[in-house]
Amino acid sequence: MAAYAIETEGLTKVFRTAFSARELRAVDDISLRVPAGSTYGLLGPNGAGKTTFVKMLLSCTHQTAGRAMVFGKDTRHAEARRPIGYLPENHRFPTYMTGFDMLDFYGALSGMATNARRKRIPELLNMVGLDERAHGLRLGKYSKGMLQRVGLAQALIHSPKLLVLDEPSDGVDPVGRKHIRDILHALEQQGVTIFLNSHLLSEVELFCREVAIIQKGKLALTGSVEDLTQGSGYHVEGMHVPEGVAKELRTRARSFTSDNGSLRLLFATRGDANQAVDLMRSSGCEIESLGRTRSTLEEVFMKTVEGGVRP
Amino acid sequence: MTTTIALIRDTFREAFARRIFWGFFACCSLLLLFLTFIMRIDVVQGAIATVTIFGRSNPSTDVQGLVTGTQSVIAMILYFAGMALAVFASAGLVAAVFEPGRIELLLSKPVSRTHLLLGRYLGNVLVVAANILYLVGGSWIIFGVKTNVWGIGFLISSLYTIFIFAVLLAVLVLVGVLWDSSAVAIMITFAIMIITPILAQKSQIERLLSSEWSRDVVRVLYYSLPKTADVSVMIRHMILNQPIGSWMPVWSTALFGAVVLGLGLWRFQRRSF
Repeated sequence: MAAYAIETEGLTKVFRTAFSARELRAVDDISLRVPAGSTYGLLGPNGAGKTTFVKMLLSCTHQTAGRAMVFGKDTRHAEARRPIGYLPENHRFPTYMTGFDMLDFYGALSGMATNARRKRIPELLNMVGLDERAHGLRLGKYSKGMLQRVGLAQALIHSPKLLVLDEPSDGVDPVGRKHIRDILHALEQQGVTIFLNSHLLSEVELFCREVAIIQKGKLALTGSVEDLTQGSGYHVEGMHVPEGVAKELRTRARSFTSDNGSLRLLFATRGDANQAVDLMRSSGCEIESLGRTRSTLEEVFMKTVEGGVRP
Repeated sequence: MTTTIALIRDTFREAFARRIFWGFFACCSLLLLFLTFIMRIDVVQGAIATVTIFGRSNPSTDVQGLVTGTQSVIAMILYFAGMALAVFASAGLVAAVFEPGRIELLLSKPVSRTHLLLGRYLGNVLVVAANILYLVGGSWIIFGVKTNVWGIGFLISSLYTIFIFAVLLAVLVLVGVLWDSSAVAIMITFAIMIITPILAQKSQIERLLSSEWSRDVVRVLYYSLPKTADVSVMIRHMILNQPIGSWMPVWSTALFGAVVLGLGLWRFQRRSF
């Protein structure tokens, strides 16, 4: 089995307008590797090129240069798309179909035999939280949240090894979001690679182990969420610190806050933090907490987007 | 095969939901009811009959001539009016596939683009074919039962009607792939349906034209476009048991359809969505 679920090499898409020399580089030379079995988030502001990138992965949009591979196979070949389950953003499912019909149709297109589809569809509809009544209801009567759930079931119909989800919780209430997250966690346990394209940074931070940020068509940042949100300093929080010790510590700290008898200090180095702990302990203070500082994914995202593309 | 059947079933489902299928079916059923209950044919002495429509008797005539004549009228109504309706209704079915949010999901499946488009095309042809065969087969049985005339020319003519529809559908597909517009597709297909009967009068037009190049233009248009009028004449001859002079209109129309469908598939392959 290939080590990477998704692998792109110099993937580029240039849109040219007819009768004009103007061109738009929607995706510019992106080389990305998504390890098999990982949960990967694709982030970027509107118009950054995320959707074009995903469409090239699925061969909906033809690349101008480079190549995209799924489990080592070029996705321009139909067979390479067999292990992919896809939930598009702004999907338009056929409203004349029932939930059951839709899964049956897309299951057949994915190469599933009739008997296998008949067995799998009720299981899946129940799994995504659509009750018996919804199975035979036309999609035109579904709410946005129900469509999102049936869309997820559609993506899972043929038990894919790679799930590409574009805004999967769009229009879903918080309980539904939690439910979808639980389903995705269960799939992650089964070794399914999940590639998530979402504007909801908190959702990506909660679910994904790794992320890539695209900015103006270029790959701006990649890495594990753990590493990217790791801060550069250390924090120490002590209770009832005597004024003399507090004064001494404040001069050494990068910044500090005090509240209700607690003193929270931020230090640039591990050594400074250790000295602060020693000083507090020797003066009989209690240590409330200590550790490395952390950033949120949103902070990392904003810093990357506002700071421009890294060389 | 599973994929092809799924695509055909989906086209039928959409045709049912858009009331296209049922609209055709109702029109065909009305015509069959008309033939069954309103038109009474009393066969007297084997070859002579009295035709009664809405209770009024018409002079006696030859049964064979009466049946084939009526069948050719039905075939022509179906060929021209039915074809126009079918083209109008099918344009939406073709364009629906290219809707954003739907096409991406179809293309993400492990199915080649050629297979996807041909499956839809075949489904659309079968939707129209089912209604044509229902009307022609039904009226053939009614005429047979009432007059004992069972000539198969009328039945075979339905295959030519389906064939011409398939060629015009290829035009709808090509325009749909190029411009995503069912309105433009209908306009261009109707233009072909209007121009080709005029071009069929090639010899008369050529006599009226003064320059050689304009005559060449007419000839090129005549030979390159489908020959809907010529095929309608062939259908009439077939039903009336008259000899067919040349098969050129059929093979040149088939060639046109194959080229246009091929262009549609080629463009669909290269297009980004």
